[in-house]
Amino acid sequence: MVEDQIQQLQAAALARIEEARDRDALEQVRVDVLGRKGSLAQFDLGKLPSEERKIAGKALNAAKQVLASAFETKDQTFAAEALNSRLKQEWLDLTLPAPGPRPGSLHPVTIIQNEIEDLFTSLGFAVLDGPEVETEYHNFDALNIPPEHPARDMQDTFWLSNGHLLRTHTSPVQVRGMERLGPPLRMIAPGRVFRNEEVDASHEHTFYQLEGMMVDRKVSVAHLIYFMKTLLSAIFHREAVVRLRPGYFPFVEPGFELDIGCLICAGVGCPVCKQSGWVELLPCGLVHPNVLRMSGIDPDEWGGFAFGLGLTRLAMMRYGIDDIRLFASGDLRFLRQF
Amino acid sequence: MRFSYNWIRELVPGLDAEPAELMRLITMKTAECEGLERVGADTVIEVDNKSLTHRPDLWGHYGMAREAAAIMHGKLRDPVKLDLLPKGKAPVEIAIEDFALCPRYSALVFENVTVRPSPMWLQDRLKSIGLNAINNIVDVTNYVMSELAQPMHAFDAAKLHGPTIFVRGARAGEQIVALNEESYNLSPANLVIADAEAPIALAGVIGGLHSAIGSDTKRIVLESANFQAASVRKTSVALKLRTDASMRFEKSQDPLSTVRGLARAVELLAEVSPGIRLVGGLADSHGELKTPAPIELSVDWLKAKLGRELDAREVRSILESLEFGVRESAPGRFLVTVPSWRATKDISIKDDLLEEVGRMVGYESITPQAPLIESVVPPEDASRKYLRRVRNMATAQGFTEVYNYSFVTEEMARAFHMNLEEHVGVANPIASGQTLLRASLLPAILKNILDNSRHLGTFRLFEIGREIHARDGALPEEVPHFAAAMYAREGDGRESLFELKRLAECLMDGCQLRPATARAFEHPERAAIIAWRSEEIGRLFELHPSLVSKGRASILDLDLGRMEKLDQRERRYEAIRRFPVSSFDITVEAPLRALAGDIEQKLAGAAGSDLVEIKFLGEYVRGERKSVSYRLSVGAWDRTLTSEEVGVIHDRVMAAVPD
Repeated sequence: MVEDQIQQLQAAALARIEEARDRDALEQVRVDVLGRKGSLAQFDLGKLPSEERKIAGKALNAAKQVLASAFETKDQTFAAEALNSRLKQEWLDLTLPAPGPRPGSLHPVTIIQNEIEDLFTSLGFAVLDGPEVETEYHNFDALNIPPEHPARDMQDTFWLSNGHLLRTHTSPVQVRGMERLGPPLRMIAPGRVFRNEEVDASHEHTFYQLEGMMVDRKVSVAHLIYFMKTLLSAIFHREAVVRLRPGYFPFVEPGFELDIGCLICAGVGCPVCKQSGWVELLPCGLVHPNVLRMSGIDPDEWGGFAFGLGLTRLAMMRYGIDDIRLFASGDLRFLRQF
Repeated sequence: MRFSYNWIRELVPGLDAEPAELMRLITMKTAECEGLERVGADTVIEVDNKSLTHRPDLWGHYGMAREAAAIMHGKLRDPVKLDLLPKGKAPVEIAIEDFALCPRYSALVFENVTVRPSPMWLQDRLKSIGLNAINNIVDVTNYVMSELAQPMHAFDAAKLHGPTIFVRGARAGEQIVALNEESYNLSPANLVIADAEAPIALAGVIGGLHSAIGSDTKRIVLESANFQAASVRKTSVALKLRTDASMRFEKSQDPLSTVRGLARAVELLAEVSPGIRLVGGLADSHGELKTPAPIELSVDWLKAKLGRELDAREVRSILESLEFGVRESAPGRFLVTVPSWRATKDISIKDDLLEEVGRMVGYESITPQAPLIESVVPPEDASRKYLRRVRNMATAQGFTEVYNYSFVTEEMARAFHMNLEEHVGVANPIASGQTLLRASLLPAILKNILDNSRHLGTFRLFEIGREIHARDGALPEEVPHFAAAMYAREGDGRESLFELKRLAECLMDGCQLRPATARAFEHPERAAIIAWRSEEIGRLFELHPSLVSKGRASILDLDLGRMEKLDQRERRYEAIRRFPVSSFDITVEAPLRALAGDIEQKLAGAAGSDLVEIKFLGEYVRGERKSVSYRLSVGAWDRTLTSEEVGVIHDRVMAAVPD
């Protein structure tokens, strides 16, 4: 019976498929059985009577399908094994260090400066820049500090061979800002400033300030306090308590020293605030009418406030840095911490 | 300035605030107190001199007592009895050359003087505020100065020549030996007190040694004068001589207080030098003593400036407690007269009165208030944005930011072959290393490299700072620069140079390097100029091994000003290619020192307009020859190139390959 022969052939082929060790062996079986000259091809159904031919044809097709599916299954098994064995070989020790550089750090003063710039920009303040070498006029005279004014002693000055000076504060940028932009005006000016002083853990001849100014038709001390509280709360990420007391700076009238409630002891008293509960933080005041006038602004029409923030000082407070000399040390063991 | 608590209490009888409380109130309303010190039975309040710069009156206890009385609503007792001043003809003549420099000179003459140590109460009081007790006469002058802020000086009359005291500019070549036993060469800019023969004191600064009070002094001329602040300050600065007198005069003292000082001295001298007698009347010479015009002050204006409600009666009471004259010219409007001791410089406009009212009502009474202002977008600062981008790029590539000083030494500048003429010099450096302003960031970067190489085997750092270049007759040019450095203790230095080159390319897409003639501090075979968009931007080089003894360091130095200008361009979208590109590889044989950049350029040029990309694949060196491989991708915008077309391009590129 042809059907029986087909059955036997199928059984034998299935056994060989089962036995195949690898893809090549499997392929050999496929060629032997299903190939053009394979064992299944030898059945010449044409010679059979039509009735038998029908039955045998069915059986033959069924066998072909069974075998094809067996080949497929076996082939997938081999593929999966091959993949598994490749993956096994690709074992990686991910506890090894990753190559390539790590991001470097910005200087702590840059970090603080960026934050404050962003804060003030969001409040509508322009960020202005000015030269580090200044004229005597912009650094002193235009800020209501004429020659022989004792306030010049408050800022030990580096004088230069060309008669100019290294700016002792960022306040000259106020003057340049007023001259350039005119009122109304909201501006800050961060930058490097210089004082001709001996250097120790808490004094530097080079440090960083941020000057701020607002000129508008109606500007009051209440507005100044509002801006300072908003600023300091944002910088220190908590509600800042501030107080104003009289302070003398020739370019403001009235002038204030602004103290912030000590962040270390919350105002109870500790060594940082010398038991007072307050830390002196920034000088500020209403812009002196002479200063407005000198920059071509009519003080009867316009008023303003100004303040100066010590960026170096803020960075020291923020990060608990106890030696100001570290900022210009170029020591990467310090700078990489930020 | 040290203030005796007991002294203030004598001047404000009934003052009941404890020293600590008084100190707190003074800090909040008048001037910054730095601390308390217990001295015997007294307590001294230390006040920061800087916060007294504008207040000539606070350089004496009476001024501070006035503040205390105003703050505590106490009553102020004036220690001066003006009726003690003698009437009659003065025994000395005063000749003032220029009333602008010496607005007033008053003097008394005493005889039958006994010079001896002061009584203990006087010595103790002076010591508590930091003054040395010298003798009864000098101590009285110091006491009056510390009380009334009026410096005084006593001359031994027997040592003076002639009956006239001159106040004049020093003559060229004149000298004086001062009380500190130093000799000073004087110039006409120095105002002096002189007798008929020579200077006897530096006006407002210090007395002369020759006419100083000695144990045998019997007759004295007591000077109580007023000098122009600027003149005293100039002399004091020029001679580097700061005294208790000069510190007071440079704050612009009140000309009206000269005679008050004398009257007070008359009373005290009688006590400390029994038997002392006045000779004749008061000598007093002065120019016009101006009374300042009253200041108009509106309560509404005060309210608007403080941002707080105010009562007109409150304003009046505050001003009157500080001895301002107040007259109501209309409801809510005052005409305010400034007392003489505040009128010299301190107070001249209504804004000054705003401070008086503000500090006395207390700034803590002001509620913070957001202003109503137009909401506007602030003008953009493109440079600052650019610098931030550069900083962020550098840190992303592993570089850490350093800040260096703006100073360099001549030696450092020379080591980097800088032209010293290009530098701005510092006229008054106080430390070594501050003689010049930096015209290059490199000297400090080298120092950073050397310092850090002692602790770290490899590192990357950068600085953004300003080069300062001298310019004739103008402010110097400040050029922002970017300097980055890489150091490796081991290795051949290639990685550092190519990492820095990569950083340059991250900052300037398409920048090109070409070999440069090395400067003396550069490795002679490893220096290049960096150009971008046909402009020279900076350099990349390895430091000469003579500068870095261990390991190797490379530096990238870029002109940020130029970079920023070239960086400003509008970005526009370009369509993405729709047709596939074809690639082929080319290997070029060349002498070892043929520049890969040149080869690449040649290949790219030969490929022509259909070139999409040329990519370096690798380099293989054999002795003095090398082969360099590139993969060229070509394609067209409007179709797929046929293999024949690609072949034509390939042949063209091959033909361009140098032999």
